[in-house]
Amino acid sequence: MIDFELTEDQKAVCEMVRDFTANEVAPLARSQDTAGELDSALMDAIWQLEIVQSQCEPDGRSAFLAGLVLEELAAGDASVATAVASTMAYCLAITDHGTSDQRQALQESLKAPGFQALSLAVMEPSFGFSIGGLKTEAVASGAGFRLQGAKSMVPLASRCRSFLVVARYQEGEAAFIVPADAAGVLVREPCQTVGLRPLELSEVVFDNVGIPQGAMLGGSNGSNIQSIIDASRTAQACIMTGLSAAVLNHVVPYVKERIVHGTPLAQKQSVAFRVADIRIDTEAMRWMNWRSAWEIETGQNPTRLSALSYSFAGEKTMKIADEGLQMFGGHGFVQEHPLEMWYRNARAISVLEGVAGI
Amino acid sequence: MVDFSLTETDKKLIDLVREENEIGRAFARELDRTMEIEPSRLRGVHPAVADREDPFELLEGVHEETSGLVIAEALMFMASAQDVELRDVGGHEAFGSMVLRNFGTDVQKEKYGHLNLAIGITEPDAGSDPGAMRSYARYDQETDEYVLNGEKIFISFFNKFDGAVALVKVAGKDGSRPEFGTFVLVKGAPGLIESPQMRKLGVRKHELSGFVMQDLRVPAVARLDADFGKTLSNFNHNRPIVSAVALASCRSLLDFTRDKLKAAGVELDYTQGTSGRSALVDRFIRLESLWEASWGTVMRAKWLEHKQGMYSNGYRTEASIAKAMGAKAARDITQGCLEILGPESLSEEYLAEKWFRDVRIADIYEGAGEIQRVLIARDIFGYKKELS
Repeated sequence: MIDFELTEDQKAVCEMVRDFTANEVAPLARSQDTAGELDSALMDAIWQLEIVQSQCEPDGRSAFLAGLVLEELAAGDASVATAVASTMAYCLAITDHGTSDQRQALQESLKAPGFQALSLAVMEPSFGFSIGGLKTEAVASGAGFRLQGAKSMVPLASRCRSFLVVARYQEGEAAFIVPADAAGVLVREPCQTVGLRPLELSEVVFDNVGIPQGAMLGGSNGSNIQSIIDASRTAQACIMTGLSAAVLNHVVPYVKERIVHGTPLAQKQSVAFRVADIRIDTEAMRWMNWRSAWEIETGQNPTRLSALSYSFAGEKTMKIADEGLQMFGGHGFVQEHPLEMWYRNARAISVLEGVAGI
Repeated sequence: MVDFSLTETDKKLIDLVREENEIGRAFARELDRTMEIEPSRLRGVHPAVADREDPFELLEGVHEETSGLVIAEALMFMASAQDVELRDVGGHEAFGSMVLRNFGTDVQKEKYGHLNLAIGITEPDAGSDPGAMRSYARYDQETDEYVLNGEKIFISFFNKFDGAVALVKVAGKDGSRPEFGTFVLVKGAPGLIESPQMRKLGVRKHELSGFVMQDLRVPAVARLDADFGKTLSNFNHNRPIVSAVALASCRSLLDFTRDKLKAAGVELDYTQGTSGRSALVDRFIRLESLWEASWGTVMRAKWLEHKQGMYSNGYRTEASIAKAMGAKAARDITQGCLEILGPESLSEEYLAEKWFRDVRIADIYEGAGEIQRVLIARDIFGYKKELS
């Protein structure tokens, strides 16, 4: 039965995260962007909200709620939201697909008092990279596997204790839990990206890395890699919606105050209509994400809708950030306002694949 | 709790309208070519569906088993391109009758309630700007009648219905400013002159005409206590439906395009990223995403309507969002599908070109896309007349 009503619990969580985002996350977005790193006290505070940990408990697992939370966080800072989503992607892949040993090991790291950086490693360093054309490969070797290849744009790679590496294996794909300190793993210096700068996106090279048998996600049966990609696409679409909502909230007071040739910008149709389009597209994105997340949560095949949500959100979020910047004119181009940062972040989040999960 | 599943009854109703549309498609081309020239609109029920349940009648009876009456209705509209009318119009398409039912007194309902009434708002020089209306009513105290002059155009089914509810300006008392008034006009009255049907780009099954009022005299009882704002509150219900109807044709065209691509050896693979699929497939996926995005906005508006009631103004911005989103998507989807399909799609052998023409009206009627954006922006900015 079609219903758009959030439960009281969901509303309460959203409200809590919204307040936290407004008070704690948004004020640090610029300084983190400038520094090119996350504020560790902020990330520890987020960790203590137990957003990730609660998702890893049987009765706390809700892809839908996770999506709601990511949108709220991203309204304050898409980088912070993506950092959380990155750890979440790793943890939820193991929670949903891992063997009991793998889940038990994960529970240990979840007990840590401070933020745990953990990442999927999906993308690879080549122009025109497509998620369907992985080159990193795992081959069976002795009692385990050997992993060869390179992954790029891995969030917080130098802080991760472990990666979940998606690689070609036999006829398909599989994911492998690879500790950052395993022999043959080389984490390169962060490459300084145009957007999502605090994520310290880096390349990670796997040079003939030996992996024990128990490290293949899901054990010898492997796991459904596509479902990890689906969850990532939906999670990223949620983050993009939060970013779009932030643009809308920021431009509204400005275009009402800014007088040009005698009247506020907001009274000019060319501006007002574009603001209306931002609202239309942001809402359309949100309901589509809700539906994708609902499909994930209710165990349906979310591949098609996740791809559509991600495609729609990516196209519209870039446009929304672009239009928001344009409405601010020169003020949009300088760093006194967040528009130029959001413009960069919008491009980044909409071309990455496999950095998030719900 | 957020839920996007359909009830069994939702699904049954959707299947019924889909099946009925499949049956009707056999007649769709013929109707498209001839309908608007002759008043050939079906009277009664087409033999092809004579033994089938009327899905919309059924809905009235079983709506408690659906996701909600107005939600299920929108789902049904989105499920069938309604290429032909296999059943007589009336009831839900008689917009003027709805205004009478909602705002008429018992006396007025007694007098006019049995009639199917169209609604007349648009004029040759006044579409979305009612302030520009020139139709005028003057009260004649001696006869207790109003005398109406003016012209109304773009009226759905006026040729078929018994009359119309018309919005006109009424001369103020003692020289005060004119106000808007709503009148029931019944065919046959001297001075109510029906205009010929209009020939148009698409939805040719949908008859459109108008009327001229030339010293048309109506009794004072024909004036409804439905002011302009109240009359237009119906729009909140209708706007997402306009989207839904257009999205149905888009669904047909997307399905047609998918089938033809498949036959040509082009498979749609949703697992691939943007750079892993052809430009053709990428284009198609983006058009599909527009459809799904629009679906969400229609459902959202209808869910709010279901909760708040049809005449609430509490969902008017969401209704405008659904209308603006779906109608623009319909333009993009149909234009895009024909481009993907290429020259063969131009042929009248297929319905593709018909769907392309049919949906174009969606971004114009019941408030053009620009009007929806004015309304949405006013809501965002807390404006009224500051933005027009």
